[in-house]
Amino acid sequence: MVTMGKDKGGPPASARRGRPDSPARWLNNVFLALCAYATLFPFVNVIATSLSSSRAINAGEVFMWPIEFNVDAYHNLIRDGQLIVAMQNTVLITVVGTALNMLFTIMAAYPLSKARLRGRNFMLMAILFTMLFSGGLIPNFLLVNSLGLVNTYWALWLPALISVYNMFVMKAFLEGLPEELEESASIDGAGEFTILTRIILPLSKPVIAALTLFYAVGWWNSYMNVLIYIRSTDKMSLMVKLYQMIDLVSSELLRGEGVTQAVITPESIRAAAVVFAILPILCVYPFLQKHFIKGVLLGSVKG
Amino acid sequence: MVTNSTSLGKPPSGTRGAREGRAPTLWKQISRNRFLYALLIPVAIYLILFKYAPMAGEIIAFKNYRLSEGIWGSSWVGFEQFEKLFASRDFYIVLRNTLLLNLYHLVFAFPVPIVLAILLNEVRAEWYKRTLQNLLYIPHFISWVVLGSIVIALLSPSTGVVNTVLKAFGMEPIYFMADKFWWPVSFIVSGIWKEAGFGTILYLAAMSSIDPTLYEAAKIDGASKRRQIWHVTLPGMRSTIAILLILQVGKMMDVGFEQVYTLRNDAVTSVAEVISTFVYTRGLVSLQYSYTTALGLFQSLIALILIVSVNRIIKAMGERGLW
Repeated sequence: MVTMGKDKGGPPASARRGRPDSPARWLNNVFLALCAYATLFPFVNVIATSLSSSRAINAGEVFMWPIEFNVDAYHNLIRDGQLIVAMQNTVLITVVGTALNMLFTIMAAYPLSKARLRGRNFMLMAILFTMLFSGGLIPNFLLVNSLGLVNTYWALWLPALISVYNMFVMKAFLEGLPEELEESASIDGAGEFTILTRIILPLSKPVIAALTLFYAVGWWNSYMNVLIYIRSTDKMSLMVKLYQMIDLVSSELLRGEGVTQAVITPESIRAAAVVFAILPILCVYPFLQKHFIKGVLLGSVKG
Repeated sequence: MVTNSTSLGKPPSGTRGAREGRAPTLWKQISRNRFLYALLIPVAIYLILFKYAPMAGEIIAFKNYRLSEGIWGSSWVGFEQFEKLFASRDFYIVLRNTLLLNLYHLVFAFPVPIVLAILLNEVRAEWYKRTLQNLLYIPHFISWVVLGSIVIALLSPSTGVVNTVLKAFGMEPIYFMADKFWWPVSFIVSGIWKEAGFGTILYLAAMSSIDPTLYEAAKIDGASKRRQIWHVTLPGMRSTIAILLILQVGKMMDVGFEQVYTLRNDAVTSVAEVISTFVYTRGLVSLQYSYTTALGLFQSLIALILIVSVNRIIKAMGERGLW
């Protein structure tokens, strides 16, 4: 009861009790901390592994902290250079892919958010249907192949221009904007393009931020499409390069004999490569996570 | 929806605005909105070329497709590919694995975010709750390639942390990723690791919209914390749980390619090969285009039937449908 006044808007029922934490609640807090620890431990472990000596790794001594600290694995990766190239490729794939996604998502969602538009329902059904039924992997591949796009990034970008789900999120958001805004702007003599770029899009910043992030993370992590469509080694994305490294190592691990006794084991290199791949996401995550959550909630309002 | 799309081509029959005459109105409407239609043209081209054309391409399931002969040049074989498919042992193994992994997911992984959300909701300190949430969400944003490699390393029989701990307790190391029992377990647990935290978002949102007076009333009636959760919190999340559950059932025919592909290995093919990985290896690696398209078509059709019936069920339950 005491805390009631302090909370703004719908406080959880639990906040309404004046009593200090009961043992059960305390236990709950500890349990959740353990869950968070279990979630993060693998990442901490892989970072520690990437900075440890091969002897320590093979002896199974590495838990949370690097044992016999060294950065040789990173040195090797950078000297090898392939991962750097792969990362540049991934940045290119992500930036262009996300920009195309947003362009086409807006081009689809904006007209379709207008109830007055004739043929709108037909178009919506046509788009929705592609979410329920798709051509499948092989026909898609044959199409891209016949268009001569294999081994170009267009093979990744073009088939995935619009995520239907994201388009519907955007459309639902735009439908929520007041109609009068556009009317008054057009009375003031603004053209339709100006209305879209100067009024509608600036008002849509939250949804644009959320969807941009969804698309960008998708591209950064994308793997299967690169595996299928990209052939040249110098065009490989970070995730495929990473998979090739893991695959080599995991087959050895399965034999259960640890890895070869080189000064730097493939395992520490693999760990370093993993750190390479997750570091950008971990760096931007704290600043952007609220947009992600907003995006999920925006989507749930109108599935 | 049906009336709207059909009315486009038919003459007006007493609908609103019919008195003004159809042709000029329609033209005027289109011309007034030409900017909007112009935006939609590239979208329509995209849909036709990259979404609907591949659907038409499914006809190669009824042909014996050869790259050199093209879609039109290849010979028709009717249902031969399907007969071959349904007669093969591989098909049943792959189908069984796909359904089983989804079933395990439904039983073991699906409830985890619900429980986690209820526990998180009981945390009183707002900063602590938010910190926990942000930490639990992290794996969702990381690709399966990365997570898979971490899982393989953690579970390695020689150097992995899990087996080091087992050995410390005097147990034999377990070959998690090469064992037909432990592989599905590792698969499900790694799925929980990636998605359980992020999955709490929708449930937490549902819980925050529960009327607090319900809890007050329950407390006055002497309900314990556990009974409050059972009688107030869970019913308040009911529609969210229902929709997500049914969506999950709608995905029964599909196990994501990337998770399986990064975690699997030759030792566990008999439990780990699913439809998506099978289509990839047989179709694109071994070039059995028509055969795997038949499998893909079978999968898509079942999935379509599932999702449509699922939507019916949602609506029959009085919830808002998916469309």
